[in-house]
Order: sequence, then C-alpha cells, then structure tokens
Amino acid sequence: MSKTNRNFVIAYFLLVGLPILGLVGVLKSGRNLTAPISVDGVWQLQADPAQLAASPCGQALASRSDATTFAISQSGKTFLLGFGSVNPSNGSRSVASGTIDGTRLRASLPANSIASAPDGGCGQGRELTLAATVNPKTDPRSLAGTFSISDCPSCASIEFHAVRLAASSKKGPL
Amino acid sequence: MPDLFKLVLQISVILALCRVVGGIFRKLGQPRVVGEMFAGILLGPSLLGWIAPGISSYLFPSSSLGFLNALSQIGVVVFMFLVGLGINPRELKNHGHAAVLTSHVSITAPFVLAAFLSLYLYPKLSDDSVAFTSFALFMGSAMSVTAFPVLARILIERGLLQSRLGTVAIASAAVDDVTGWCILAYIVVLTRAAHSGTSIWMTIGGILVFAAFMIYAVRPLLRRLEISYRDRGQLSENALALMLLLVLGSALCTEWLGLHLLFGAFMMGAIMPKERTFVRYVLDRFETITVTLLLPLFFAFTGLRTNIGLVKGPEMWMYCGLIVLVATVGKLGGSTLASWLTGMPGREAAGLGTLMNTRGLMELVILDIGLDIKVISPALFSMMVIMALVTTFMATPLLDWICPDRILREESAKAAAQEPPARAMVPAAETISA
Repeated sequence: MSKTNRNFVIAYFLLVGLPILGLVGVLKSGRNLTAPISVDGVWQLQADPAQLAASPCGQALASRSDATTFAISQSGKTFLLGFGSVNPSNGSRSVASGTIDGTRLRASLPANSIASAPDGGCGQGRELTLAATVNPKTDPRSLAGTFSISDCPSCASIEFHAVRLAASSKKGPL
Repeated sequence: MPDLFKLVLQISVILALCRVVGGIFRKLGQPRVVGEMFAGILLGPSLLGWIAPGISSYLFPSSSLGFLNALSQIGVVVFMFLVGLGINPRELKNHGHAAVLTSHVSITAPFVLAAFLSLYLYPKLSDDSVAFTSFALFMGSAMSVTAFPVLARILIERGLLQSRLGTVAIASAAVDDVTGWCILAYIVVLTRAAHSGTSIWMTIGGILVFAAFMIYAVRPLLRRLEISYRDRGQLSENALALMLLLVLGSALCTEWLGLHLLFGAFMMGAIMPKERTFVRYVLDRFETITVTLLLPLFFAFTGLRTNIGLVKGPEMWMYCGLIVLVATVGKLGGSTLASWLTGMPGREAAGLGTLMNTRGLMELVILDIGLDIKVISPALFSMMVIMALVTTFMATPLLDWICPDRILREESAKAAAQEPPARAMVPAAETISA
C-alpha cells in the first residue's frame, strides 16, 4: 500500500469510521429515552348532554356542528387543540394551546371562541379550560377529564370522555 | 369535486407572490428559489393566517388543500426525476481520494452531530409514538442533505462550475443526496412497515426486485431513447410521453411497495443515460412548467404547513438556534475540515463547506415526507424549515466574504493548472434557481 493510500485509509477511519461508531452508540443510548405521551390525532368526544345543557359554554359547545370531535396537533410537551377534525396547527385562532405533564393534559382557550354566535352566557374574558388524563393502556388511547369555565362560580364543570379515532401505532422500529 | 374558481385563484396568488418575492431576492443577490420558499411561508399561518385570518381561510380553506397538495406533489415528482437525471455519482471517481473523503465526511459529520442533538431534542419535541432510532436517523438525513440545484446555480453564476472547487462540490453533493435519500428510504420503509403490519423484509425484497428491474430492463430501453435522440437531434412527443409515463409508473411502484412516490421518480432519473446533451435536452423539455408552475405550489403548500408561531418562547427559539448551529457546524465545518485535510487551500476549503451547507428545496422535500409520516412534529418541522432557509440564505453572502470571486478564481486556476480538467454535470439548476 502506497503512503498516499495509507494516509487516506487512516483519515477515512478517523473522519468517517469513528463517527459512524459514535452514531451506533448514540442510537443505542437513545433507546432508553422517554418522550411525552402521544395524544396527536382526532378524538371522539363523549359528554353527558344534561351537563352540557346546564352550562352556558356547554350549550355553545353542543350547538357547534363539529362538537363531537376535536383534533390535537402535538409537538413534544405542547399541543394545539381545535374542535372538528381539521388540523389545528394551521394557524386558526380558535384553538386551545396546552401542555402535557406525564399523562395529564391541560389546555385553555377564550370561551367566546367556541361559540358559533355571540351569546350572553359564554365568553367575554372567560376561559374554557380542559384538564384530562390519558389512559395509555387502552388501544385506541382514551382521555377522561373536565371542561371548566374560569370566573364562573355558578358554572359546573362538564365531565367528558374521549377516544382517539386515528390510532397511532409505533412510528418506526425498536 | 374541486372548487375550480378557488383553485385557480390560489394558483394565481401563489404564482404572483412567488415571482415578486423571488425577484426581490434576486436583487439581493440570492437565488430565486430562496425567495420562492420564503413566499410560501408568507402565505401560510406564519404571516397571512396570523395577520389576516379571514383572507387566509377564504383563500386556503382546509377543504381545498387536498387539490393544491396533489398538484404540488406532481411537481415534486417531476422535480425529483430531474434531480436524479442531473446526478452522476460516478463523477466522484474523477476526483480521487480527496473528493471521496470530502463527500463522505460532509454526510457523516452533520449526521452524527444531528444524532447527538436528537438525544436532547427527542424528549422535548417528539412523542412516544416515534421511536428514537427513526427520529435520530431522520434528523441526520435531513441535516446532511445538500441542495444540488441551488449549489450548481451559485457555481454557474460565479463561473466556477468547471473549477476544482466546483467539480468537487457537485460530485460531493451528488453523493450526499443519493446517500441521504437511501437513508430516508430506510426510515420510511421502517415506519410504514410498522403501521401496515407488512413484514419489513417483504418490503425491502420488493424494492430490491424493483431496483433490479429498473436497472436491467428499463435502463436498456432508456438507452434506446438516447440513441434515437442522437440520430435525430430530438425526441418525438411519443418518446417524451413514454418517459413521463415511466417516471409516473416508477413513482407508483415505490409508493405501492410502501416507500414513497418520490423515490421512484428519483430512481428513474438516476438510471437515465448521462450523456450531457441528452440530459440537457430532457431537462429543457420538463423544467420550465415544473419550475415556474408546479414548484411554487409546493412552496406554498409547505408554507401552509409551516407555523412559525409554534416556535414560541425563548426555550423553543433556543432549540431552533441549536438546530441551525448543529446543521451549519456539521455540514460547513465537516466539509471544510475534510477538504482542507486532503490538500485544498484553506480559503477554497471554506468555500466548499459554505456551498455544501446549502439545503434549499431538497430539505423541504425531505421535511414534508417527515411530517407526512409523523416522524417530526409540526413545531420541529417549522424549526427545520427555518434552518433550511437560514443555511440557504447564508450561502451567497458567506461565500462572498470567505472567497471573493477574484481570489477564488485565481486559486482554482492555479489548482486546475496542476490537475487534469474535470467535468461537472449540471443538474436542473439553470431555471430552478435563476
């Protein structure tokens, strides 16, 4: 082997071979990492009609044609939630932004943005807050929690249950 | 049925804005394609949807985006065919060990750094439906890609295409792109196999059989097209239609096999005969409509999916800054170091690194696939789009600063006098970035 070829082999090993070995190490160590629980997708919402009717924002929600589903667009520990099945990350202003902590979700949006028409009971300075817990053991995943309205002592929380329609299986190996 | 009025209105707005913004960027000394990418973002939720949500939802209602996407994907299919057509990795052989080392380091350095960065970003920007391996490999392939057409355009504008710097850059970018697409194919196969329940070995076997069919059955047919062109100086409309059918057929096969439409189109371009005048002739037939009509639709569709508002708060902007930094250090630094170690003068080596750091449209194509298969989240997608824009935008001014034209030409001429002349294939660059 000539000197030039030998130098090339050494340089190739140092600059290409060693980094590839490093890559293998990174991929192995990364398997132990845990990412936030997946909630991305479209969810079917189920709530007690009586509870909806008893709350001003519940009435507004129930009057929406798309109120039976909501879509979540997740980016790590943060997410956007919008009613209907349209991806909420398209910039619409009537979406809630929220965070994920373990299996718990919390999101809020201006209460008046869920009403399809102005009404006296739901809105103007109030916030609709969603607090829920994901059950990761069910397939498809399910959510259970409440919608509550800020600054409204007389408004009862609305309990809900939701099931993910677009079940997301493991995207990738290992 | 599509709302034709809305669709034509969308196309008109997109084309007009792309021409205007592309023109402004040209005046700023940037390739037009950077302006068109930027125009796409202006039309999305990052600007139009933010300042005028009413106009945005009238112009681009969610229900209409499927048609826009379909048209833009056809454009990208043809574009990937043109990229494959322009790429000739065998040219690397003309440049010896230096180019082999440079091209391979320009892949491994950003790839490995991206994998390290993934250790930090995965728990913050991904979720448990994405495996770490897929995430890290995707980040690696997205950061190691080079915008072959933009790079070629910059070299053409500076009269450096036939210089040592130009030929090594073109050859290295070709190898980078082929390697990047192979790795991306692997990730897509793994991801889709996990979803569909089909054995991964069945998918890989199918792809190998398809590749063998393309090389041993379709390629000889394409050689006959080249012979026909040589005899007549042109191809008949039937021959061009057959070529287009083969591109679409190849794209459909890879999609059906669980890969992606774009891989088939790229493969078809890659196995085409590489005789220069034939390549130029085919590029001329397909480029204009693809570049002036269909690619702006792709930029707009990508812009509609890019929401810079998702990069919210100092923490998210820090992640974004880290992505830009790691992508630049890996690609620019890795390429510069390797070419300098193999004997290229420092200034020229830094110029090569700057050129290799250009990501442009190729990056957007890869990111769109990543978002489609949900390996990356919408916020990470937006950060990576910002990275693509920043690294592409910085190429021209950085090259001006590191390697003023006069000095670069002198160094290249000096080097060329000591080496046999090299030949660089020009990909779909002239109209794409002009």
